[in-house]
Order: sequence, then C-alpha cells, then structure tokens
Amino acid sequence: MACKAVRTKLFEYLDGELSEEQRSALEEHLGACAECRHLVELEKAFREIYVLPLRPDQAPAAVRERAARLLAGLAAPPRSRWVRPLGRRSAMVTAALALVLVGGVWGLFLTWTRREASASLLRLADASVEQHQKLSRGLLPFDITRTSPKEAEQWFGNKLDFNVRLPELKDENLTFLGGRIAHLRDFEVAALEYRVDQKNVTLFIMPAEQYQRLGLKAEPKFKMVNRQGYDVIVWRAHGAAYALVSEIGGRSCMVCHAPEEKLDVTLKPEAHGAR
Amino acid sequence: MDESVEFQQLALKYMDSLYNYGRVLTRNETDAEDLLQETLLRAFRGLASLDRNRNAKVWLLKIMKNAYIDRCRRKLSRPLEEELPEGQEPADHLPVNPEEILLRRLAIEEVRSAIRRLPPVWREAVELREIEGLSYAELAHVIDKPIGTVMSRLHRGRNLLRSFLQDHPDHAIEPGKVRGL
Repeated sequence: MACKAVRTKLFEYLDGELSEEQRSALEEHLGACAECRHLVELEKAFREIYVLPLRPDQAPAAVRERAARLLAGLAAPPRSRWVRPLGRRSAMVTAALALVLVGGVWGLFLTWTRREASASLLRLADASVEQHQKLSRGLLPFDITRTSPKEAEQWFGNKLDFNVRLPELKDENLTFLGGRIAHLRDFEVAALEYRVDQKNVTLFIMPAEQYQRLGLKAEPKFKMVNRQGYDVIVWRAHGAAYALVSEIGGRSCMVCHAPEEKLDVTLKPEAHGAR
Repeated sequence: MDESVEFQQLALKYMDSLYNYGRVLTRNETDAEDLLQETLLRAFRGLASLDRNRNAKVWLLKIMKNAYIDRCRRKLSRPLEEELPEGQEPADHLPVNPEEILLRRLAIEEVRSAIRRLPPVWREAVELREIEGLSYAELAHVIDKPIGTVMSRLHRGRNLLRSFLQDHPDHAIEPGKVRGL
C-alpha cells in the first residue's frame, strides 16, 4: 500500500471502519513507513484532545422540563380511545339537559357511535388532541398572547391564506389565552387557546377543503368523538372548518357562542366563529 | 418494567443528543424543541418497533430525522440535503494535517463553535460521528444515504473543521490545495 493510499484511508482506519484485509495492509505499511506512522500518531492525538471530550450541548433546563412534562403525560394510563355515548359523561348530560330546557338553544347534533366515526375524523381528532395537550401544558409557546380576539384575527389574517374569524368573548368565565400557527397532520391551522371553567379549550380553525378531505356525511353537522379522554367536536361553517378540543364536552361551545343563543346562523353568523 | 417508564428513562437519557440534533436540523432553538417533542411522541407511539438489541439512540435519531423531513414537506421548505455548500470542498480526500492545531492548544468550546460553523450537511455528519459516536452504517441509516455519501460528507466536514481551527478561522480550503502533508 502506498503512502497516499494510507492517508486516504486514515479516517476510516481510525474510525474502525476498514475491512480486516484493508486494515492489515495499512498496518503493514505503517510498520515500514515512519512518516505515515507519525501522521497516525498526530491523528490519534487530535482525536484524544479535541474529539473525545466533545459532548452534546446540554438541553436548556426549560426544554428538559417541558419534555419531562410531556413524557409524564405520555405515561398516564390512556382513557378510552373510542367514541363514547354522550349520556356516559355526566357533564355532557348536564349540558344536553340545559340545551333542552332553554328550548331552541343552539342544536348540537353530535355523532357518538363507533361505527360512524370515520378513520379520517379520528386521525384529525388525534392530531388535534396532541396539539391541544402541548398547548395547554405550555409545551408550545404562543405566537400571540395578551391580545384581543380581534387583534389576533388580524394577525392570523396576515399569516394564513384562509379565512380566520374569531368569535368575540361572550362570557366572563371565558378567557382568551393566546394563539399560534400549528400543524394538524399536514396542513397549517390557527390554534386558539381559551380558558373555560378552569379548563383549557383549544379551537382549531382550518381551511374548509380540509374538512371536505375527511369525507364525512353532511349530517349531523357537528361530529363529536372522544380521544384519549378529550372531547373533540368538528364542524364546518362559513368557509372554514373547526375542531374544538376540551375535557368539558358541549360546555366548550361557549368559546364560539353563548349558551342561550339560538340556532340562527343567518342572523348571528359571527356567533359561531366565522362569518 | 412498565413500558412507559422505560420509555421515559430512554428519552431522558438521550434528551441532549436529540435536542442537539434538532438544532442541527432546524438551526432554530424553538423549532428544535418542537421537533424534539414531536420525536418523543412519535417514538412513544412506535415503541413496539424498537429492537432492544440495537442502539436505541440511533432509533430515536432516525425518528427525529423522519419527523424533520415530514415537517419540511408540510412547510414546503428545503431540507438540509438541498443546501449543499459550494466552493468549500477540498479537491481530494487527504486529511488536513492536525499538527498546527495541536500546537494551538484550543479549548473544547472553540472546537464546538467551529463545528457549528460547518455547512449543514457536513455538520450533521460530523456531529453524529464525533459527538454521538455513530458508526458509518448507523449514520447512513439515520440520514438515509449510502455509506459512500456518509464517508464523503464526514471527510469533507472534518477537513473544513480543521481549516477553521488553524490560524485563519474564516479560511475555507481552496479547491486543489490540501495543506500540511
């Protein structure tokens, strides 16, 4: 083996990546060539002094902390992963009774059966839950915060190429926490985080064509599934599609409209988050 | 041991490596954290695919690389591979002699800083080999390239790193010139 061939293979030799045959040939040359031997010694010294002490930079404490919280959440035993009947959740029963009592209340037609929940809807729901968990645990920072829905609406309008209209806050128990551009599966959405009854609620607004891609039936208008213990309501209205994620079922709807508001989208379209 | 506890331990053990690789890929600390979290979620979901007899760090790094590529597709942004440097490649494959650098007695942080200045695809190869200790085959698996490509990137990255560490930190190796030997 010639000196140039040895030097060409030097990195591979010291990386332990040469075949047995190549290694033997190279070492045979080293035994006879002082200059190449010297070069190998320099390489070994370089690695010992400058390479072996290299370690990955430590992740910042805040990053580690947020990741640890995420991991702790993953470790929690999963709750039912499939769609459950509305009547099995007491909060939902309460909400449903309230809707009936006030009469003419916004009519949510929810779909509960496992059979009717399409795989595409479940995938969207899973992606929504994942983003909701990260937002509500503070693992994803807001792009905008401490602002009004109107200002947020303007901010998203400049960033996204579909219609983002945010509802006005209609209840003193409802707080707008902030928003960011998020990804649900393979498309960008506006993610809005609210606080309702001491619980976090996330409203995702996405292009209407994404809803069409789900291939869902027109009725019922509001599809609701439960994923990992979270209620996900998905619907389309006024040129956009929506996914609402919470642990409080139909109570989360107050993000978009007040409980007493009637189902009259032609008169009060702004009450449902889009015009 | 409970599977989720085992996964937590694994993730915490390789947290720094993953975060660093996230920074190499995204070149942005916020995106790196986002990518880290996405990687952890994907890895947890795909825990069944982890072969306990193989290198778990490689498995996690590969998941991160895939998540990064998917993210680039979603955002229609260019992945590292499309940002190959121009005009900085040495003309042949002889290593740059490290003697001058040894005499300079540099601090490790200076070496770390020089690695950060490497073009992205070369930095990726150098970090995964020199810092994470991956073999050529493991590196090829993570970046999804042939071993020949791995060797080429690693070689060029190492040589350019040495040129950074020599007397002229901003100097890149000129085509046709390999110094030292």
